Amino acid sequence: MKKLLNSPLAYVDEMLDGLVTAHPEMLRRLGDDGRVIARAGGAVPGKVGIVTGGGSGHLPVFLGYVGDGLLDACAVGNVFAGPRVDDCQAAVRAANSGAGVLQLYGNYGGDRMNFDMSQEFLQMEGLDVASVRVADDVASAAPADRAKRRGVAGMVFAFKVAGARAAQGGSLQEVTAAARKAADACRSIGVALTPCVVPESGKASFTIADNEIEFGMGIHGEPGIWRGEMKTADALADEMLSHLLPELPLDRGSRVAVLVNSLGATPHEELYILYRRVAKVLQERGVIPVMPLVGRYATSMEMAGASLTLMPLDAELERLLKAPAHCPFWRV
Amino acid sequence: MQTRNPTAVDTAMLRPALLRCCDALEAAAPELNALDGRLGDGDLGSTLSKCAANIRDALAQEPAGLQALLKACAQACARASGSSFGTLLAVAFLTAAKTMGDRDSLDRDQLVALLDGVGHALSERGGASLGDKTMLDSLAAIARGVENETQDLRGAAQRAAADALEAFRGKPNKIGRARMFAERSIGLDDPGMVAVRRMVDAL
Repeated sequence: MKKLLNSPLAYVDEMLDGLVTAHPEMLRRLGDDGRVIARAGGAVPGKVGIVTGGGSGHLPVFLGYVGDGLLDACAVGNVFAGPRVDDCQAAVRAANSGAGVLQLYGNYGGDRMNFDMSQEFLQMEGLDVASVRVADDVASAAPADRAKRRGVAGMVFAFKVAGARAAQGGSLQEVTAAARKAADACRSIGVALTPCVVPESGKASFTIADNEIEFGMGIHGEPGIWRGEMKTADALADEMLSHLLPELPLDRGSRVAVLVNSLGATPHEELYILYRRVAKVLQERGVIPVMPLVGRYATSMEMAGASLTLMPLDAELERLLKAPAHCPFWRV
Repeated sequence: MQTRNPTAVDTAMLRPALLRCCDALEAAAPELNALDGRLGDGDLGSTLSKCAANIRDALAQEPAGLQALLKACAQACARASGSSFGTLLAVAFLTAAKTMGDRDSLDRDQLVALLDGVGHALSERGGASLGDKTMLDSLAAIARGVENETQDLRGAAQRAAADALEAFRGKPNKIGRARMFAERSIGLDDPGMVAVRRMVDAL
């Protein structure tokens, strides 16, 4: 294992220390174990709070999206392991200014159980808490089983849309509706070229031959659709689009948000090679890409590979997507 | 003394019984880690040790009443770890607390209803069904074992937990990470069912 670390067991806590030291004006650590990241200035008075949470190893997801026009707090787990229920509750409390709190997170069994439990505890105390899960990875289940899909890079769009709606003074009901609209609209698919190493175990998250890639693989190494030889960027872009487009209402003249995301090790150069093809295919169909995002938005540490997320836009989603936002990793 | 529906749980009984469960879980941690390591990520014993330590802290303050005591145990498990089993224990304790209401004891029939309610909540939250080879199967076996017992409820529960383990050893796991190794899980005890047995044996 070649990683810049001091001790595998200190990996997450030292990462959090560094993050809040670099961005003290934006972020602070809370919770009895310091596993909650919240806005430095506390809950915004009168604003609906939005919290997320999940395992570490995916920066900027999850905690990196705490900031203006985005999220208010995040419960942080170990690498690829869910946060404690107690930290989910602490995150909600940190985000609560009295206007209610939305738990917005990716659809993984453990995270769901923990956030459901958090909601149950907090509702017993009389807090107003709602939940929306993002399940955008089309490779993880058929359209009929959409609710079982995993949450991947589409979360970034859901965070952005819900965060903007909350910043504009939306009620908990309105923020929840906006989050659900974004979560329902987006679809993603990824391709993995190499695995990453989980520091606590020191082992690769999966094994794959040098000349092989896995299409549709999940961000923790969950099995994908096929494993086979490397293909050209254009062929992979076409294949990704062939899985996303049939599920999306993108007629000629429609507008779509596009995210070409690195899983960690894949450089911006290769992401732009992918984007070039994606934009060309969309334009040939008369579909207009809006505010394309090309970069590291949801990663799997040093995994090589990329994902493509599309979110068809109506006027409301486009307005919320373009609203101002600022966090350590992203400014709109 | 023999009654048709004996007292199963009361305030004097529950706290020391839970503390004995905590001791048993800590003692079983290496065994549970090893069992879990063959099917999952090998942290079940550590997770349950952490739950046990937190429960002991929570019980040090003698929460007033059974409901408060069970709710404190639920929060203690929620603080232990992010892993599913700890959360499911929290679900079990919180469901029990809600069912308990302001009662200060349960008779046998109420205990059976509580166990069935906990099983239902665990199934809703965790997604497992009866027959999947999880602690749900142990709980259901215990409820059925206690249901018609008039004297030794503890003995009936212990026999049921042991029999359930025996009955499921030769079957595959159908949920969780162990599901990916379904064939390999045949012949192995489910670590969660073993944890339930160790707890019940300590009652």
